Amino acid sequence: MLRMEIALFLVLAFVAYIYFSAEKEHAALHRTFAGLLITALAHLVLDGITVYTVHHLETVPGFLNDAVHRLFLGSMVLVIYLFYQYIAILVEEETGKPRRLDWPARIFLAVAELGNFLLPISYTVTPEGNYSSGPYMLVPYGAVVFYLLLCAGLLAVNRKQIDKKKKSAIGIALAIEFTVCVLQGLHHTWLISGMGITLMTLSFYLTLENPEALRAELTEQKMSMLYLKSQVNPHFLYNTLDTIRIQAQLNGDKKVAGLLMRLVDFFQLSVKVDRPMVTLDDEMELLEAYMELMCCRYPELVCEYDIDPDLGGAQVPNFILQPIVENSLLHGLKNKGYRGEVSISAGRSGDGRLEICVRDTGSGFAGGRKAAVDEMLRSYAKQPPKLSGNSIGILNVQKRIKLLCGREYGLSYTENETGGVTAHILLPLKEDLK
Amino acid sequence: MKKLRVLLVDDEIMIREGFKRLFDWEGHDCEMVGEAADGMEALTKIDSLQPDIAIMDINIPIMNGLKVIQMSRLKHPDTAFVIVSGYDDFSYCREALRLQITDYILKPVNYEEFGTCIDNLKIALFQRRTSRQDVPQEERTIHGITRYLQEHLAEAISLSVLADQFHLSAQYISQLFKSEIGVNFLAYLTNIRMEQAKKLLLTTPLSIAEVSERSGYADYRIFTKVFKKTEGVTPSQYRRDFLEKGQ
Repeated sequence: MLRMEIALFLVLAFVAYIYFSAEKEHAALHRTFAGLLITALAHLVLDGITVYTVHHLETVPGFLNDAVHRLFLGSMVLVIYLFYQYIAILVEEETGKPRRLDWPARIFLAVAELGNFLLPISYTVTPEGNYSSGPYMLVPYGAVVFYLLLCAGLLAVNRKQIDKKKKSAIGIALAIEFTVCVLQGLHHTWLISGMGITLMTLSFYLTLENPEALRAELTEQKMSMLYLKSQVNPHFLYNTLDTIRIQAQLNGDKKVAGLLMRLVDFFQLSVKVDRPMVTLDDEMELLEAYMELMCCRYPELVCEYDIDPDLGGAQVPNFILQPIVENSLLHGLKNKGYRGEVSISAGRSGDGRLEICVRDTGSGFAGGRKAAVDEMLRSYAKQPPKLSGNSIGILNVQKRIKLLCGREYGLSYTENETGGVTAHILLPLKEDLK
Repeated sequence: MKKLRVLLVDDEIMIREGFKRLFDWEGHDCEMVGEAADGMEALTKIDSLQPDIAIMDINIPIMNGLKVIQMSRLKHPDTAFVIVSGYDDFSYCREALRLQITDYILKPVNYEEFGTCIDNLKIALFQRRTSRQDVPQEERTIHGITRYLQEHLAEAISLSVLADQFHLSAQYISQLFKSEIGVNFLAYLTNIRMEQAKKLLLTTPLSIAEVSERSGYADYRIFTKVFKKTEGVTPSQYRRDFLEKGQ
């Protein structure tokens, strides 16, 4: 029997190696999975030890046998709790609803661990093999039933809002663990609980946490950027524009020359599009070139900036501000004949994150539009890739922030009391300098 | 002050025409003495005309601009090279800095702002002249004023403050700057304030707002705008570029 534990341990250790050697953003979900991997590995080691000690009841001292068994089942309860936690965070991310069952889950964990270390333990000897028994066995079965029911409940309640792939991953994992526990309950000498844990972890890894899967999503994003870029050689475009600009200025037309100058600036800056992350300074420069052109076209348009100068080096995903501002112009200020103000501010939020706000004095959301935009931004992952339409810009921004910075960051909209809307972009604050 | 002699090197005729006709050379005490459209021609003209300033594009036929500077550097140590390039590429910039160029300007060139580049060049020449004079027998007024400015650049300073301090008329001091250095008072003050800001950015961990204040700008927004205009990058970008280069 010990061979199975060793094999399972090696499989999980290999998974852990791949998982930890891949570079990725460590959002809450990934941290939970990392904790799960480590606890599961410890659990398998203890599993192996108990399989040995329970079959050598005469030679291994009784207290030692009790201790490793209690540790073994204690770690199992912890693993099951982490499974629940992982699924709860996943569901929270998918639906946007806060987790409300965390406290009961934690209290149950504490009670279960207490019971595990206090309830009496005994050993049953049979010709097929030995196993531990007694009242303390209530703890693992109780924990499996309690947490699996919680997970199944979460899944059932939110089944419509969860991505199909993720739903099937959770469902399969729950079914496996349930089957294994029933089998273990019927055949006490099989000692297969470690197998259930390993298979559950594997199903999560293969479907959700696989670095290849995450990378594929990023590649897809990059491809669409390259596609946009390849349509015209930007160097040709802005060199030609610059020649026209000089000719205009030679002809004495300063106004045209000035406009062309900003357009050249804009194209030059947007050539940097192949980098996924740029500094806030770069991003602002592009935005200012864009806004100056727009303000020239619509003289009653005003633009204000309030950027914390020490945040200029903060890394932000490339090309996120211009689409947001463009959205403000096209859907807010256009309805007011382009009369109004866009103000852009960037600063440190209370919890040390970078918050960029784009506030406009436009017409605001039409009735029901706010809810539709909120819904689209929340369920960004399920939106089919669109090539045109109203919201392609902000959806694309949301997708890239989530992929590049982590799922706890992103874009959201609020309505101003005085009319118009404010876009809030929350980003991690990673600066090159203090 | 004698006029500065300028050679213009770019392979595109429109760019050369723009430079020749759209920048106020006369007003900046400069004269255009020649132009070249490729690396070889540039090399010959630098030798024959011996310009004070060579304005160079990098991407030119036959021999690139950096190569031309490299080959002329030893023969003409006093020529100031100003690179004007469409290549926003740091590897070029790094090589250019090694060749001790005077300035690096990105296309598209804003002719109004190009004046700042010429002003800075004149101030650098003035400072070089000043440091070459070993022990000045009698200190000239302009040196007293520039030293005073250097020591009080963090304060609110103006021509009238200087006039009170040195018991001269503001108009006289203004003319002194024009005749001795070739730039106006404000351009000189901005120049030394920016030098101070650059020094503080690279040698201290002060925040941008503090650097701004110690360089004589009470409002960091104005400071950032002026810095961006003269250096081409924002203060934080400037600091970051330097740190990256050091790595």
